[in-house]
Formats: sequence, C-alpha cells, structure tokens
Amino acid sequence: MRPGFLVATAAGLVIAGIVHIAAVLAIPRLSESDALTRSGASESLDHPLRIYTLATGDNPAPAEAWLPIPDPAVAVGVCAYDLAEGPMRVSARTGPLMLSLAVHSRRGSYYAVTDQAAVRGALDLVVLTRAQNDEALANEDENEPSRDVRIIAPEPRGFVVVRVVAALPSQRAAANEAVQAVSCTLDSPADPPANGAGSGAGRSPAKPNG
Amino acid sequence: MTASVTEKARLPAPAALRRELPGALRRLPGRILRGSSRVGLVLYALALGGVLGLASADWATRGGYPFGGVAIGPWTAWPRSGTAGTDPYTRAVNARRGEIALAVGEGMLLTASADDEGRALDAACTYRLSGSTPPARAWTLTVAGRGAPDPARPPVREGFTSTEVLRERDGSFVIALAPDVQPGNWLPSPRASGPLRLALRLYDTPVAASVGNLDREALPAIARIGCGA
Repeated sequence: MRPGFLVATAAGLVIAGIVHIAAVLAIPRLSESDALTRSGASESLDHPLRIYTLATGDNPAPAEAWLPIPDPAVAVGVCAYDLAEGPMRVSARTGPLMLSLAVHSRRGSYYAVTDQAAVRGALDLVVLTRAQNDEALANEDENEPSRDVRIIAPEPRGFVVVRVVAALPSQRAAANEAVQAVSCTLDSPADPPANGAGSGAGRSPAKPNG
Repeated sequence: MTASVTEKARLPAPAALRRELPGALRRLPGRILRGSSRVGLVLYALALGGVLGLASADWATRGGYPFGGVAIGPWTAWPRSGTAGTDPYTRAVNARRGEIALAVGEGMLLTASADDEGRALDAACTYRLSGSTPPARAWTLTVAGRGAPDPARPPVREGFTSTEVLRERDGSFVIALAPDVQPGNWLPSPRASGPLRLALRLYDTPVAASVGNLDREALPAIARIGCGA
C-alpha cells in the first residue's frame, strides 16, 4: 500500500501544479473586480467615467475611487469599448496639463500616447478591429488621407484610460475637468472615417503629400 | 519521595505513546486506503491537488507583483506591469486588485520599501530622500502605509510632484520623510508606526523602455536619520 500512497501523493502534487497554473491563467477572465469589468458602466457614456477624482476644496474625498493605490496628483477616467458595435473614436484637446491616453485589453495595455503627440492641439485615436481597419483603408480617399491614429485592437473588448496630471493642488479641478472633456464616441461604420463627424481641427486641406 | 515515584511511574506512558503514535499515524492512511483501495487513492490525489493548487495560486497573486521588478538600489522599477506582454502572475494580481498599471508610453512606477542599507521603512523613523530622478516630464513621489488610512492623522500631504518640490541650486531635491514637522520639503509619515512604502511615478519618460541602463545615482537615495522613541 505504501508505494500506492506515494504515487497518489506524487500525482496530487502534479495535479496541484496544473491547478495552480490554470487558476492563475483564469483569474483575469473570472475576476469581477478587474478594471475591464468595473469600467463596463462607462460603455453607454460618451465621455470617460471618472474613476479617480482629485480632491479639491469643495470635494475632499473621492468616493468613486476603486484604484488600490492611486496617485494623489493624477485624475483618472476610463472609457470602455466593445468593437462589435463599431470602432471607437477618442478625441482629446490638449491643454496646459499633461494628458495621456492608454488603450487596454484584458491582457494589458497595447498602446499609449501622451499629449506631446498631438497634432495642432488635437489627439484623435480610433480603436478598431483588423476587419474594420481594412474597411477603413478601402474606403479612404487618397487625396484626403485621414489624420486619425488607427489602433488595431487584439480583442473586441477593452477600455481607454485617460490620465491628467495636476502638478499643483490648484490645478486639480482643471485636471478633473480635462478628464471629462475627452470624448469617447462610436465611430459610425457607415461614414468613412476621413469624413466622419467629430474633430475638425485636424482636417485642413494642407497635406504634406500634396 | 512518593511524588517522585509516581512521576517515574507516569513517565513511561507518554514515551511509549510517543513511540506508538508515529507508527499509528503512518499506518492510518494505509488503513484508509486499504479499505477503499484505488478510489480512495484517486480522491486523495485530487483533493491534495485541488487544495494545494488553489491555495498556492491565491498566495502567489495576493498583494504585490511576484515577478517583473528591476531592483535599482533601494528602488524597484516595474516597467512592464501594465503592458500586454507581462507575465500571467502580474496580470492576475492586476485583475484581482482592479489595478490599471501605467503603460510603457505613459510612464513608469518605482517602489521602495527599504532604505539604502536594506532596513524596512518604518513610520516612526526619519528619512532623508535626496538626489534627482530620471528624465521625465512630470513625476510624483508619494508615501503610503499598509491598510486603511489612520483617521487620527488627517493627511496633510501624501506626496510631492515635480513642480511642487523645493529644489537645490543644482536642480536636485531633499525630502524629509518624518513623523514630526521638518523644514524644507516635509513629507509626513501617514501613520504612527508600521511599514511604509514609497512610490515614485515617472510620467512621459523615455526610461521605461530601457530600465536596465538606470543606475542608483539616477534615483533618490533613502537615508535613515534616526528613529524617534
């Protein structure tokens, strides 16, 4: 019986290893407290959902914060997307405060940009699937190339994180507003992206390849 | 006299028991298994595997990131914790905590929980954080204790930003992390006692792509000045 017991213990340890790996890999998928699940509430909004509001004189305690250890000088908002409904356009106007946009899928961030990459004060990202990107390229007018930054998402679901740094306490209210001022809208699949509604700042006829 | 005799008489009993017990324990699984044969063994293996596997997975993904840190002096840089290329443990930790880590193009997090000599940061002690930071458009240096904030200590200040901090002539800075009021850049300890953790977040920094090239001098030194009673 002793060898049988030892074999069973060894088999148990092997099973423990398999269960360990499977559990670690399954946690992001099963978790209900992860950022993707919690950001789902913002899908119906056309502006970011505030997830960390900086404390200001009027509003000392940020109630909606769920980030575990947030930076007390950075306002954070999220826009969830589901590309099955169409590509998502994120438009931000640059201001005096530093702003960054990061696009996340369930696996982590796959694209990030700061306001230094803005063209004439506007940052326009379009998050789309590979098929939607092919369609957008096919519909594009060669004489008027789009100025959007197109980002191909690895998965149809994810979220965009907006961070605005308030370097001084007096800028906190402005940082909270700057997060809200970013727009996250569904890019209508009927319109070719070059003629789509939205930001007009980057669409002047002057083109480098004229 | 009588007491010692009774004690001697009593002594052999536990000794014999001690000799008997391991044998009985060793035979116990055998007895169980002999009764239920192969089914018992399979159930035992499954139960052992399930319990050990789940417990170890829970332990590994609780708290901080188990891997992926780059140690630079007292600081640990986490350049890849938020990216899609990170390891499954970091991803699981982020999912459990609801954390949204900084992406590579956005910034980088560095943490420290010990001073230059390797002693754990204690809220009762006074520290001198001096030096400069790697190039970044903005940075914040914050301090946090473990667990919920202490209601008896209203947060005067949780950290400094690169714009707020008072600098020396050469652009470096000195921050005093102390429980009592200090001249210059005073960062109050968030609680009366217990471990502390410093977080240095660099925003819009080129460093995140090449953490291996950072050396100790590029980051603030953490020197313990003394510990108040």
